[in-house]
Amino acid sequence: MSAVTQSTATHPADFTSERFAAHVGNRQDLPTWWLEIKKAAWNQYLALPLPVRTDERWRYSNIKEIDLAGFVLPGQPAPHIPHLPEFPRTAELTFSNRQIAHRSALPPELAAQGVIFAPLDEALREHGDLVRGYFQKHPVILGSDKFVALNTAFCSTGALLYVPRGVEVALPFVVEHTLAGDHMATFPHTLVILEDQAKATLVEFFASTETTTAHFVSGVNDLHAGAGAHLSYIGVQNWSDATQAFQSNSIAAGRDARIFSLNLHLGGRQARHESQSRLLAPGAHSEMLALTVAHGTQEFDQRTLQTHAAPHTSSNLLYKNVLLDQARTIFSGLIVVDADAQKTDAYQSNHNLMLSNAAEENSHPGFEIQANDVRCSHGATTARIDPEQQFYLEARGITPSLAHELLVFGFFEEVLNKLTDDHLHAALTNFIQTKFKS
Amino acid sequence: MSQLEIKDLHVSIGENAIVKGFSLTINSGEVHAIMGPNGTGKSTLAKAVAGHPDYTITRGDVLLDGQSILAMQPDERARAGLFLAFQYPSEIPGVSIANFLRAAVQARMAEGEELDATGYYKRLYSKMDLLKIDRKFTSRAINDGFSGGEKKRCEILQMAMLEPKFSLMDETDSGLDIDALRIVAEGVNAMRGGALGILMITHYQRLLDYIIPDHVHVMWDGRIVKSGDKSLALELEAKGYDWVKKELAKA
Amino acid sequence: MTNLTETILPEAPDATENPVAGIDQTKGDFQYKVDYEFDAGTGLSEDTVRYISSVKKEAPWILEFRLKALKIFFDKPMPTHWATKDLENINFDKIRYYLSQGQKPKRTWEEVPDDIKRTFERLGIPEQERKFLAGVEAQFDSEAAYSNIKEIVAKQGVIFANSTEALREHPEIFRKFFGKVIPTGDNKFSALNSAVFSGGSFIYVPKGVKVAQPLQAYFRINAENFGQFERTLIIADEGAELTYMEGCTAPKFSTSTLHSAVVELVALKGAKIQYITVQNWANNVFNLVTKRGVAHENATIKWIDCNIGSRLTMKYPGVVLKGRKARGEVISIALANDGQHQDTGAKMIHAADETTSNIVAKSISVGQGRSTYRGVVHIPKHLKGCKNNTECDALLINTNSRTDTYPAITVRGEANSVQHEASVSKVSAEQIFYMQQRGLTEAQAMSLSVNGFINDLASQFPMEYSVELKRLIDLEMEGSVG
Repeated sequence: MSAVTQSTATHPADFTSERFAAHVGNRQDLPTWWLEIKKAAWNQYLALPLPVRTDERWRYSNIKEIDLAGFVLPGQPAPHIPHLPEFPRTAELTFSNRQIAHRSALPPELAAQGVIFAPLDEALREHGDLVRGYFQKHPVILGSDKFVALNTAFCSTGALLYVPRGVEVALPFVVEHTLAGDHMATFPHTLVILEDQAKATLVEFFASTETTTAHFVSGVNDLHAGAGAHLSYIGVQNWSDATQAFQSNSIAAGRDARIFSLNLHLGGRQARHESQSRLLAPGAHSEMLALTVAHGTQEFDQRTLQTHAAPHTSSNLLYKNVLLDQARTIFSGLIVVDADAQKTDAYQSNHNLMLSNAAEENSHPGFEIQANDVRCSHGATTARIDPEQQFYLEARGITPSLAHELLVFGFFEEVLNKLTDDHLHAALTNFIQTKFKS
Repeated sequence: MSQLEIKDLHVSIGENAIVKGFSLTINSGEVHAIMGPNGTGKSTLAKAVAGHPDYTITRGDVLLDGQSILAMQPDERARAGLFLAFQYPSEIPGVSIANFLRAAVQARMAEGEELDATGYYKRLYSKMDLLKIDRKFTSRAINDGFSGGEKKRCEILQMAMLEPKFSLMDETDSGLDIDALRIVAEGVNAMRGGALGILMITHYQRLLDYIIPDHVHVMWDGRIVKSGDKSLALELEAKGYDWVKKELAKA
Repeated sequence: MTNLTETILPEAPDATENPVAGIDQTKGDFQYKVDYEFDAGTGLSEDTVRYISSVKKEAPWILEFRLKALKIFFDKPMPTHWATKDLENINFDKIRYYLSQGQKPKRTWEEVPDDIKRTFERLGIPEQERKFLAGVEAQFDSEAAYSNIKEIVAKQGVIFANSTEALREHPEIFRKFFGKVIPTGDNKFSALNSAVFSGGSFIYVPKGVKVAQPLQAYFRINAENFGQFERTLIIADEGAELTYMEGCTAPKFSTSTLHSAVVELVALKGAKIQYITVQNWANNVFNLVTKRGVAHENATIKWIDCNIGSRLTMKYPGVVLKGRKARGEVISIALANDGQHQDTGAKMIHAADETTSNIVAKSISVGQGRSTYRGVVHIPKHLKGCKNNTECDALLINTNSRTDTYPAITVRGEANSVQHEASVSKVSAEQIFYMQQRGLTEAQAMSLSVNGFINDLASQFPMEYSVELKRLIDLEMEGSVG
């Protein structure tokens, strides 16, 4: 057994108790229960070790590269704020260096129906009970306990999206997080609460202003879909190539709820994304999608969990990675079917397209099944561009480079075409193409 | 001479009553057709008689040669001489038709009695030829990846091999094109008369052009509402099921 | 089962053959009187290892190898961070590590003492040997009671011996590969085996020799609280071909028994080794086995691994594909019934261009049984044209049956292709009803379905074994329905 590998910088000087005290000290206008939760999280953060090699949830991860030293909370907003390409939206919130940079008004008819779309701090002041009922109510089981605790301790940005019973909002809500300056850290935390029969989409965008500055990010999302609700979450991550990013997303689905999540991973030196779908009542369905373009020496580490806690639930996961240069990807997914969750349908696929001889993919699909009347399957493939397909296109007069590009985008499209919002589909396709071509 | 007697049969699935007082007697050599629109309980009747565990018989009885079969397990009913040709035959991967039929034939023999393999295959191949089934079929898994027509021919092959006293044919024509229908009908006609009694369940009249029934019954809301000879089927075809509905309303 | 204590002649141990003083052979709470001629007692220490080595009159390097392994065993933690906690229920202090009647196997069945012979006769070994085997070794607890190879095969230069004999008589062949495929420190149990190994087969097939009939080993645990640690090393020289089969059984005791073997295969250029296991240990046996082969250029290693018995099996036969165009294959069948956990799988380590590997694993979970598939497929950087295909299917019979699948795939480089698929299915009530409607009983229908599920794999077994497999599965399926 290899010795326990542990970074020497377990509690680096820059996330100190003093700094935490200062952070909480500036927030005395917030509810007491909130400050108590933060204190408890801070203590938990101190007590927890950094990830260790013997933890199966960190298998393959380059954990010795995790380094929290030197990061500070930013003071100044960013001079330039990157955005996603335009698409029609209901409302937006933009955070730059942990401050509100832009906020569009919620359409009055939605406000009148009781829809809430507010920055986290404001939500805590004005809708404290709502936040309290849903904040961090998902179990943290995919490995990032320490980073989630750090998020709770320091989070102040992020949003609350609340949609009351029966209210359907067609166009997406947008939250953007931008970070500028070297060795800056941020801790976004967003809550989405859809009451029964409600429908809404949230698009979240994470980006650095420059490509080489080092950032540390620990983000958390708590998403809840009530009975019959339809919740879509789209996350687009384009941090700098020197960023360490840890994102932990959880979605719970009630009876007959449909939840949809799509994550685009483009940036980061070491980007870990944990995503769990919890199907808690019959009829719940989850669609989990992700697309990663890994280049340079990037490491993308994706951990997923599909928990079927009730009968007649279904889930479908499709994670696709494109690997260039010396990039590494890790996909580790688990389907869990509880003992009583008969008639579960659960699928999981991970496909890796290798475009370089020095890239490395690790795929670890899995299931744990304790009910017999279920349909579950998973598949993982690793391949390069099919020379036959390439030839076929070239034989039609298409240049080799265009043929190659068409095939790569064809690989992406299987994920992107699950988006039903055409404008959003076009915007994301455009964004990823620009990114890929550069 | 055998007799299958269904007496005032009531069948439920869970809480729902589907068959509500169905009575019919079939003798060896007779071909009865039951027609009726979807949802009147035709398939339920067939499965309940065969002993499917999802169906509860709440009233009435089914007698085979005077003995009630309701206490018998599905396999005991099958060995007693009841055959159900399924509307949707199960696919059973990995189990070859040859092995399966052999096990089924062996199950009908006395304990310790050995199957004569040569005789078995001779009989099997002659039945397959009759049904125009390629011999390669015997090594394929039961219904696994079969077309609709292949599945139905496989059902008739099994019926031919197992020589039941009574066969309940549930929508045997569904999923068949005209050529496949003709082959299946020829197979059935070759077996009819003699010791075999047939209950054909069908939604459409066209099957009855190929297998001409001795008796036709119209089933509606879980029971027989009209009986006649083959002309009833033609009348039904011409006038549609609405005609029956109106007749019932009048009554 | 016959009680051994009544039948073995109580011979006085020869002082020169049993030289280790200070070992109390009666200590510990074992139930049998010491009627074995050689008994290392209960519990594990350096003295145990020295005792085993001395009764075997081993060369000093082997004793050194054992002692080093013992230290590694003690130092290594249990792999419970990924494996089942049930491993913690093994009490190494209560196990007897060496029991035998003598170190020299008999060459004819007539010479084998009656009661040991009766056991093997009941298991059908001598009959199988006559019918279709090129040679047989029958191990009873720590040592082979019988070992023989057909003269025609021996004349071709094939060596078939137990580990003690082979290391003594053919060190020039076996020492070179011994412990090289599976290093002592590979895992805690390979270290344990390396410390206390006894028995097992050492086989060498010379260049170009194709052994037409299989060689077979049969492993029998008879004593309670016993640990069996056979060590097998098979070397197929260039162009040689061999099929090796092993079977194993033990009577059911209320206490746990440990079986922890190490099996190393070496297929040199163009050689082919097929290794077939039908494991049917009793439900109290912890079966923790390390099996790996190295396939050189153009060589093929195929593991056919079938696990039906034991309380816990952890076994992931592997192939290191070391030479260009080497092929590795694992066919795995596991059946886990109540109280059983079959934690099985495969490892494919690609280490040369154009190597291909194939894994097909099928498991059946019955009652509260649990089957787990773990797999490793590893394709390192700068290799070209490597292919892996993995298929795992699990069949769940009862409502509370359990299955887990944990494949781990690492691929570097773009010139390789890997495909993994897994699925879970059940025997549907409709299937069972369909077959019942044709006159089969529910149990017959279930047996047909289950055998159908593994049919494509079972057909790869030699006929005699596939019949046995079907029979064992039918036995396990009894009473599983309803």
